Amino acid sequence: MLRPSDIATQSGQLSKVPAQTLLPLPAPYDDFATLAPRKVLDPKVLERIDTSLDGFSALGISRPLTPEDERQLVDRFLSGLEKLLSKEDNWAFLKQLQLSLDHCARCQTCVEACPIYTGSGHDEVYRPTFRSEVFRRLVNEYGKPQGRLLARLKGEHIDLNAATLGRLLESAYRCTLCRRCAQACPMGVDNALLTREIRKLFSMEMGIAPKEIHEKGSMLQLRTGSSTGMNARAVHDNIEFLDEEIHDQTDITIKTPWDKEGADVLLIHNAGEILAWPENPMAFAIILEAAGISWTMSSELVGYDSVNYGLWYDDAQFARVAVKQAEAASKLKVKKIVLGECGHGHKASMVTADRILTGDLSTPRESALVLLRDIVMSGRLKLDPSKNNFPVTLHDPCNIVRMMGIVEPQREILRAICPQFREMTPHGVNNYCCGGGSGFAVMSGYNFEDWRFSVAGRMKLKQILDAFDDCPSPDIKKYVCAPCSNCKGQFRDLFRYYGVWEKSGILYGGLAELIVNAMSDISEPFIKWEFH
Amino acid sequence: MLTVVLISVAVVVFFAGIAIRLMKTLQMPAHLRWELYPIPKGPRERQRYGGSYFEESDWWTKPEDSSHKSEMVFVVREVLLLRGVWENFRPLWLWSWLLHWGLYLYVIATMLGMVEVSLPAGSNSGALHGAVVHGYRTACFLGLVGAAGLVVMRSLHPRLRPFTTRIRIFDLVLLGSIFATGVLSLKMGTNGLVSMVRDLSGFSSYFGNPPVVWRVHLILVAFFLAYFPFTHMTHAYMKYFTWHDLRWDDSPSSRNPRAAKALAANLQRKSSWAAPHIASGNAATWSEVVSDPNGNGVGKRA
Repeated sequence: MLRPSDIATQSGQLSKVPAQTLLPLPAPYDDFATLAPRKVLDPKVLERIDTSLDGFSALGISRPLTPEDERQLVDRFLSGLEKLLSKEDNWAFLKQLQLSLDHCARCQTCVEACPIYTGSGHDEVYRPTFRSEVFRRLVNEYGKPQGRLLARLKGEHIDLNAATLGRLLESAYRCTLCRRCAQACPMGVDNALLTREIRKLFSMEMGIAPKEIHEKGSMLQLRTGSSTGMNARAVHDNIEFLDEEIHDQTDITIKTPWDKEGADVLLIHNAGEILAWPENPMAFAIILEAAGISWTMSSELVGYDSVNYGLWYDDAQFARVAVKQAEAASKLKVKKIVLGECGHGHKASMVTADRILTGDLSTPRESALVLLRDIVMSGRLKLDPSKNNFPVTLHDPCNIVRMMGIVEPQREILRAICPQFREMTPHGVNNYCCGGGSGFAVMSGYNFEDWRFSVAGRMKLKQILDAFDDCPSPDIKKYVCAPCSNCKGQFRDLFRYYGVWEKSGILYGGLAELIVNAMSDISEPFIKWEFH
Repeated sequence: MLTVVLISVAVVVFFAGIAIRLMKTLQMPAHLRWELYPIPKGPRERQRYGGSYFEESDWWTKPEDSSHKSEMVFVVREVLLLRGVWENFRPLWLWSWLLHWGLYLYVIATMLGMVEVSLPAGSNSGALHGAVVHGYRTACFLGLVGAAGLVVMRSLHPRLRPFTTRIRIFDLVLLGSIFATGVLSLKMGTNGLVSMVRDLSGFSSYFGNPPVVWRVHLILVAFFLAYFPFTHMTHAYMKYFTWHDLRWDDSPSSRNPRAAKALAANLQRKSSWAAPHIASGNAATWSEVVSDPNGNGVGKRA
């Protein structure tokens, strides 16, 4: 039995996460012996970094070398805690934070909703209330007057030491912020919000965040224009190449419009699509041109990349990126921004940034799924559903569906163009996260990928396999429609880890690709059935 | 007399504590949106699957559905039936439901008791008196069984045990003791609640010399009233904020003219976060931090 106070245990690892206790998968994935062996970390690395939560490391947190180092670490944490609870430093989320800290009944009603906790076989270290309760107790004990005395009286004392902080921070990167637990909470408490606030404290006060989402993510995006590192010149060149590809594949000539002032639509893709899944921006270009939409892309800094990693860990980074994207739209005087297939980009721009993007920055923002639905249902494209006559299921990106309520547009499209469309169970606002949410899909850490595939993505994989249980043969090609770049990144890596393409013939891809694949005017199949 | 004083002080602390908590929450800065679907708003068909206005093209040109009827229906169902617990943790539901209904009936019976003692002398209040006595008896019985069941659940159930601390048991034992002394005082032939209300209303002679168990009951009630505002049990009314004000607040700033004003004020707040990429050093406003063009900490001051 793992209690919250155990987080302060000085030595040892809180969980070993044994493979045999993980959520069982259907055949041929039911043999744990066939799982890829976990990466063995070099003893020198293990000496240096803290893996005492579960043996995995997302951040490579250094262990303090001296008692003085440890004292400084604790002091910096307490300084951040004070700021997290202040109106000046945390006006943006103080109310959410305070209410979630104060009103948990410790009823554990939420825990079964968590795909990581259940996917791990109920490993207590991943219980969604574990890190929340630890954090709540630290706030109550070390952030409030008479807190230390009251904590002892209540039986809720936790030692505040380097072990506590190292495990707490790693633990904040064992939650994808999918918010299924928040849905289940009868009090309205939000464990995911608390997780994000923990991440935020470490990032904004102590400068500690995963390098993939900070240095190589939001910092790179603010410096070059994109978290991929592509500057405006590079993105122009790449899109020009894709325009040529479109011609080669379809005989359709398209010149992607750039910086067209007064266009109806400013399309902002997740720039990662351009490099990793170029068929998606190609499909968008084909659809928008065929539908006669007045559209453009922007070559302003950040104006061509919808990602906003700050949403997951840092308010300053979040606001900086959101403002830059809005400035790009404002400069072009477009009628609206349309967010491409990027889940967190949707939520960051349309929801969380809504109350910072006012005045000149308030260009309306709309989901590409809605625009695509309007185009498909309007009959402006000639579509032949028989070209998509293969089993298709739909993954609901948490940010687009559970956090924005965009549920039906993508389904209307699939019902219209995919004769073998079937839902996963559960789906819609009750979906399970892909396991790559909140930045995990781009994070590898030291051995974090082993955890991401074997634990975080397990429930989703089971859901996908179950959705296709009537046609398990790899000879029958199947398609998981995932209208989110982050989710696609997770599926690519998850499928590769388990050999899903080889064993089950399941491919993943976006929504726009399915639409183009169904277009009567295009003779060659647009979907290539090649795993990448 | 002592019990009357205690109860009176406790009632003052109870309402003052609630008022302070409400004021503190209301005075918190305008926050960023963080809604979660399904949200009980909009057309019924859309509510069925948890859809939102974002599903409409050019949603900002469409009228907002500002009706709160569905929210009210949701809240009433949750309060009366504890649907969240029923759906997500069935073994806990019965005991939790019994405890909650014990509390609800206790409050209702108290209110009815107040009505009864305020009636003019000689009024025919037999039915009302019966409702008070039976309501009070049922409240105490349900509450006692619920509290006892929850103590057992918290102590034994593997899902609850690791998170059960002294304070969780204390809260339940406190509530259980209130209900237990209520049951015992009824057994001893008092008419319980009405006498309490009469005592509090200045009719202290009504009951004559109350038994010890009744005095203990009143002292426990007084303690609970003064203790309640400082516990998580305030979720009883703070759900307005956690649900309506946060989880269900999907109102866009374009339809909320106060948002821009609140934002302007917030952006002038001082940021003192110390990480190198912010480094605002107690001097930069949020506006300066956000407008830092490269995220390199231009808000940094010497």
